[in-house]
Amino acid sequence: MKRVGVFVCDCGSNIAGTVDTGLVAEEAAKMPGVAFSTTYKYMCSDPGQELIRKAIAEQGLSQVVVASCSPRMHENTFRKAIAGAGLNPYLFEMVNIREQDSWVHSDREQATRKACDLIRMAVFKVLKNKPLQAGTIPVTRRALVIGGGIAGMQSALDIADAGYDVVLVEREATIGGKMVQLDKTFPTLDCSA
Amino acid sequence: MPVDANWRPKIVAFACNWCSYAGADLAGLNRLQYPADVRLIRVPCSGRIDPQFVLRAFHQGADAVLVSG
Amino acid sequence: MVAVAQHPHIKVYTLAEVDAVNGYIGNFSVTIRRRAKYVDWNKCTGCGTCETKCPNKKIPNEFDLGLGTRTAIHKVFAQSVPNKPVIDAQHCRMLQSGKCGVCTKVCPTQAIDFEDRDELVTEAVGAIVMATGFDQFDWASKYGEYGYGRFPDVISGLQFERLVNASGPTGGKIKRPSDHEIPNRVAFIKCVGSRDDTKGKSYCSRACCMYTAKHAMQVVDKIPGGEAYVFYMDVRTAGKGYEEFYERGVSKGVKYIRGRVSKIYPRGNRLVLKSEDTLLGRPIEVEVDLVVLATAMIPAAGSSEIAKRVGFSTDKDGFFQEAHPKLQPVETFTGGVFLAGACQGPKDIPDTVAQAGAAAVKVCGLFSKSELATQPMVSEVNAARCSGCGLCLPICPYQAIGMQTVRERGHGGTIERRIAAVNEVLCQGCGACVGACRPGALNLKGFTDEQLVAEVDALCL
Repeated sequence: MKRVGVFVCDCGSNIAGTVDTGLVAEEAAKMPGVAFSTTYKYMCSDPGQELIRKAIAEQGLSQVVVASCSPRMHENTFRKAIAGAGLNPYLFEMVNIREQDSWVHSDREQATRKACDLIRMAVFKVLKNKPLQAGTIPVTRRALVIGGGIAGMQSALDIADAGYDVVLVEREATIGGKMVQLDKTFPTLDCSA
Repeated sequence: MPVDANWRPKIVAFACNWCSYAGADLAGLNRLQYPADVRLIRVPCSGRIDPQFVLRAFHQGADAVLVSG
Repeated sequence: MVAVAQHPHIKVYTLAEVDAVNGYIGNFSVTIRRRAKYVDWNKCTGCGTCETKCPNKKIPNEFDLGLGTRTAIHKVFAQSVPNKPVIDAQHCRMLQSGKCGVCTKVCPTQAIDFEDRDELVTEAVGAIVMATGFDQFDWASKYGEYGYGRFPDVISGLQFERLVNASGPTGGKIKRPSDHEIPNRVAFIKCVGSRDDTKGKSYCSRACCMYTAKHAMQVVDKIPGGEAYVFYMDVRTAGKGYEEFYERGVSKGVKYIRGRVSKIYPRGNRLVLKSEDTLLGRPIEVEVDLVVLATAMIPAAGSSEIAKRVGFSTDKDGFFQEAHPKLQPVETFTGGVFLAGACQGPKDIPDTVAQAGAAAVKVCGLFSKSELATQPMVSEVNAARCSGCGLCLPICPYQAIGMQTVRERGHGGTIERRIAAVNEVLCQGCGACVGACRPGALNLKGFTDEQLVAEVDALCL
């Protein structure tokens, strides 16, 4: 039996200012497979994540939908939170009701309806999600720095000082870049070499 | 044919995660306003979009489909 | 600089460019082209005899932005790192016409090698830091009112740096390029190419307000009786100690005039600047000996090509695109590729150093793990459905699909057949193969047909 939990974020007033999140959570509760839904002021915060973990344990949730900001922002945050509750992090979908809803629409009713639709889409999708496992790839602990000016030299030195090998490639016959052409540099007026 | 003033179209938009979806996010960051009738479906690439999805959307009653990537 | 060259963990390739980058985060293979130097740096001691004897002495020196000259065999500048010369093939008489070879005769270590050719080397790395820097906006082609570069005494800020630099062509004496006289009155024009949508770039180049303040102060300090006029749109001094620095210049007598210079024309051996003083609300004319333009920073030549080669995107102005303007300022959308310095956008030295450190930390963070978790949303093959047509192979932009042989029972025995196989490390999860698969054998985990159709259905309810 699949039990989906829907968590609707207010994002302070960023979302709740335009979208009636309470109504959205009520509507979400009626969607197929949804066993639990709630709102919270900041779902990405510590207490917000704790709320999700607690609900997974207490409500026996099998899938999670978080409606908040763009997944490009916090998808990994919530995946980790869910994994912390022992659920596979890919039994999760995120709904973007901030960047693509509350921030771009001003009509409260329409924005709220859109949020409900977007959540329904995610609920339907998450019911088809399967647990996924990440594989691993090796890491070559050696860096390439392209450009031997102040930026490249500083990066190369910092990485090399940490004990890793660095390959520095410079187009000109000397490193130093534009900086070595300069006389004194502000605000200290010390030499630039 | 009279058009119902309250009629809202159902617009399905398939948006590539790396460009169009990011662009929609950017529109949000800049608070650019647009009609609320479009529903984005995030795909990892416009190459992921199967023509069947478009047909399915029309078959299920979508008024318009946007493929962007 | 010397610290870099001498560091036991840093290998420096100068006169080199990245030809190709293959692979992915943690596992890049980089092909580096080492251009021909015509000098064997293992033998060369850097004594400099060749430079003094080279007969071709009148080549404009790029390092001094044409304000000085150099020879065909030359060090970029006296303190080059490595401190060895190279031959500029275009200007070398031996390489162009086969007649000369003076450097071969005078070199005490026989280090000259006219047979030297470009060489390709391959390096395996796990992360890449882009630090390709900036170039100066080509004001001379755009700003007719400043003379299209016809007046030798209208120079750029970087040229002024060479004039005022103790190791520059004038030994640190500020002299006019036209007659090598010391200028008495110097004008500075800010925002040349910056904040100018019509002729230049829309953005602010960030460093110019401060280096102009420095230049103006140097005029007042170094030239007895020297006067400095700064024509500006705004004075932007955001940065620790910056406002105080600018105030110091003003208190030393640098005159700031708020207005755009509309024309520069010669009068005798001086230059006249026509402008408006918008604070006085009236047109003004100033006669000066030297004009210094604070030109915009633009992405270094070849930026877009190297971005394509490494595999990440550039912004509307050609600077490298960071993954997020606030939260991921040194990351790119390509895993394992980081940004440092002005290649990401105009910035001054303190900001560059800070960003370079940030990029280094990101690299070290990556290297703190011996292995990375892969993204599991990759394509998978349903072996039972795959017909082995191979249509997906050319579709895959990452060359992540190959063919494999499977043995199956059937037709009363064991049969072998070829089916598609996805390399889960190379697969970036774009799903282009799924739509191309006629028997429906391929599916993208996390974005399966079933999941996406469920979304469409939910939306159309």
